[in-house]
Amino acid sequence: MAALVRRRAEQRALRRAADGQRTEYLAFSLAGEIYAVEIHSIGEILKPPPITEVPRAEPSIIGVVSVRGRLVTVIDLRKRFGVKDAPIGHLTRILLVDKGDEKLGLLVDEVLQVYRLTENEIEPANVLGGDQPAHILGIGRPKEGTGRPDFGSLLVLLDLRPILDG
Amino acid sequence: MAEHGGGGRGDLGDKAREEFFSEAQELIDGLGRDLLAVDAVSKGGRTDPELINDVFRAVHTLKGLAGLFGATLMSGLSHELEDVLDDLRLGRLEMSPAVLDLLFRAVELYAQILAAERGDRPDEPGADVKALLHALGQVSQRREGGGVSPVAQYELDPGLLGVLTEYEEYRLRTNIAQGVSLFRIRVQFRLDTIDSALDELKARARPHGEIITYLPTGEGGDADSIELEILLASHATLAVLEAALGGSYAAIEEVQRRGGRSRPPPAIDEHEGEPFGDMTGAVPAVTGETSSFPQAPQPPESKAGELPLPVVWGREPPTTGTVSTTTSEMPPPFGDFGRVSRGRPTDVDDILKSMPPPVPPAEKQPSYPPGAVGGTGGREMSLRSVSQTVRVDIRKLDHLMNIVGELAIVRTSLAKLSDKVRLRPDARGLANELYRLHRVFERNLAQMQNGILEVRMVPLGQAFDKLARIVRQISREHDKQVNLVVTGAETEIDKLIVEELSDPLMHMIRNAIDHGIEPREERMRVGKPTVGTIALNAFQKGNHVVIEVEDDGAGMNTQVIINSAVRRGLLSREQAMELAPHEILGLVFLPGFTTRGEATDLSGRGVGMDIVKTNISRMGGIIDISSELGIGTKMTITLPITLAVISVLIVETAGRTYAIPLASVEEAIVFDERDVRAVEDREVMNQRGRTLPICRLWKLFGLAPEAAATGKRFVVIAAVGNRKLGFVVDRLVGQQDIVIKALGKSLSHVRGFAGATELGDQRVALVLDVAALVEEVLSGDGERLLEGRSAGALEMRTEGRLGDGRARA
Repeated sequence: MAALVRRRAEQRALRRAADGQRTEYLAFSLAGEIYAVEIHSIGEILKPPPITEVPRAEPSIIGVVSVRGRLVTVIDLRKRFGVKDAPIGHLTRILLVDKGDEKLGLLVDEVLQVYRLTENEIEPANVLGGDQPAHILGIGRPKEGTGRPDFGSLLVLLDLRPILDG
Repeated sequence: MAEHGGGGRGDLGDKAREEFFSEAQELIDGLGRDLLAVDAVSKGGRTDPELINDVFRAVHTLKGLAGLFGATLMSGLSHELEDVLDDLRLGRLEMSPAVLDLLFRAVELYAQILAAERGDRPDEPGADVKALLHALGQVSQRREGGGVSPVAQYELDPGLLGVLTEYEEYRLRTNIAQGVSLFRIRVQFRLDTIDSALDELKARARPHGEIITYLPTGEGGDADSIELEILLASHATLAVLEAALGGSYAAIEEVQRRGGRSRPPPAIDEHEGEPFGDMTGAVPAVTGETSSFPQAPQPPESKAGELPLPVVWGREPPTTGTVSTTTSEMPPPFGDFGRVSRGRPTDVDDILKSMPPPVPPAEKQPSYPPGAVGGTGGREMSLRSVSQTVRVDIRKLDHLMNIVGELAIVRTSLAKLSDKVRLRPDARGLANELYRLHRVFERNLAQMQNGILEVRMVPLGQAFDKLARIVRQISREHDKQVNLVVTGAETEIDKLIVEELSDPLMHMIRNAIDHGIEPREERMRVGKPTVGTIALNAFQKGNHVVIEVEDDGAGMNTQVIINSAVRRGLLSREQAMELAPHEILGLVFLPGFTTRGEATDLSGRGVGMDIVKTNISRMGGIIDISSELGIGTKMTITLPITLAVISVLIVETAGRTYAIPLASVEEAIVFDERDVRAVEDREVMNQRGRTLPICRLWKLFGLAPEAAATGKRFVVIAAVGNRKLGFVVDRLVGQQDIVIKALGKSLSHVRGFAGATELGDQRVALVLDVAALVEEVLSGDGERLLEGRSAGALEMRTEGRLGDGRARA
């Protein structure tokens, strides 16, 4: 067992040395697009518990949930991005993120997989044209097999800070 | 800030720094209290060396701490302060109001430095510190000249005088200056028991005076024993001392004065010097035991830990422990405005004459301190607390509270399970066992909840101490003499509330001094005591804590308020005409309101009354004003005792569940649509002959009404202060004790919710902020604001994802 673990660790190290620095991104789908955020910013992935709506809150805040005794405000990313609503389905998930002074949940359609991207697999956001929203960091084009050929392999890499502050 | 980083900062972790901050903060708070005590004593024309020593020790410890953490500004300030304090305790420097001001200023600067170190404020008060250091430097140079020592009047052995330390000499001079007699005591001690024997002798002598020094005489001893000469300063007679110290081993003799008279004028009778005048009876006579100055007119602060504060206002004291009980018989000075006829000078005169001087004049009266326990009792208390308490981060307590909340949910499930098992006849034994366990669990959980709550509770005195400093400072700046009279400092309230309360209270007190208390000449003209009084009263009332800030100043002029509000366009003159008097006073809480043409130095700073009100309602509290022209103003804050656990009524409306704090629920009655009438677009109903405004909760929150709600509906009648409002709901679910949790920052601007709670099975219910909702509905403008908002909100909630989410839940 220990030998196996060690061998895997060595392989990982070798691969990293070959490819340069890799960063892990968690990919999720939202209204037909694939987005990805750096995995370190995600604390947890939850199946949506019952959500209590908060009257008078801004529309993109879908409500509050309790995560092990802690209140978490849930933001509907579809509403934040201004795309059409969709009902909560069995694949819907909440990504827990830390905003510093509070924990927030981001409602997404489906969590896909983790991509490990090197710098040369990431294109800057301006390939999409001049003025891109602040929350788009760039475009990820993973070279390794994605296991999901139907989605192609184009990831919109998100910077969470402007999303959380907005 | 970076240059103050020093070497140590990086090495010591965040935790150590946190420790530093809280320890330094404690020291600074203690320092402030000690200084207030010094202030009180020095008003009586004395200096208590022990108090100065306390201050010195605090500063010294701060210096050490600051050095450890590389806070150079703080250690520099401490160093300079040490010098001044050293001079003070050795008598090289006289305590004066000017010196005290500098010391108080230092406390303020310490707090600022700490805030800067902590990163709460961007700038360090470097320039201010520099100015203070300069002033301190000047003070320590302006030392008292030597002068002819009064010591020379006594027939004391020059040899003895020669070996006195500086401090002993100072104590000797001080005692002589106070007209105390000196006694020489010769005692023989066995060398092997000298320590305990000496301690015993000291203990016996302490009630009667102060031991200046003890020195070996070099006579009368042999190899196993030693003779000491003790110099004792005492007001007692030789006979008394002999009785007290007597025994074969002590020889006592009075030190004669050169040129005849053996004793200074006889000691003043204990009661003659009583500073409370006709309140003498209310103040227990001070026993001499704990004081080193038993003879002097004994200001009560030396035993402030036990002594009652003078209570001025005619309310029954909330607690018996620390408050004088005779005061409830005194007529209220201006508490009951109803009985006072309006502003005719003669009436004011009579009233003022009829009331006992609330607080004796500042010069004689050590008005303070409630928490500033300067005496021996207080010190012992604080020593104990150092060794027996731990500092706990309130976040850790919140965490514990969360876990308890989780357990409460387990308890609910357990109860359900227990009920289920009991229905099965084959498992009766098991069911009983489960039921018993459940009961035990329930009981222990309740105790645990209470325990954690108790830990969160701190006495209000923490906030009041700081206010006493503010009062002192502001009244000096404004050249108004003001006494702060505090009652109920021991009233306990949630730690978080105390923190949040400091700023609003400070602002109210500033206002009271700035706008309330009249200038001295004006007070004299209307026959009021020249010294103004501000009373800070706290007491517990059920689940609430009431805090009153009351001044005997000029009162608030409703006409001026109306004029000002109309001028600022806050309302029309026609609207103003319709307002009831208390509503007019309420105008001062409107944003942008001020009666002054331009902000004064004092009230221009900090927050306005609207912010005071906002801060207080954020904590679930309310604030009321009552005022009578010429008599005074009273602001009353009512706060929940804790933010953590409250009893709520769970209700349902439009398929949603909400919790309404029971503290603000008067009753719940069955709703009958036929009772509803519309008055100017507002719905009201008849509640036993009274008109009750009502509000349908679904409408207020912009929810779609429950189509299926055909059954009985209910009206939950909420009362906030003297305002009432009925919330129409679909169902009453029941009463429950809940742990209330704050909504996250991204929801902090949403009005109407005090927080949320878990009900079990993972569901979260919002807790209504009843005070805010009542205000919003009854003030009317809230509803207009809502119209626009609710349309959008409704749209968002009726379609979309939430419906589906609930279905899954």
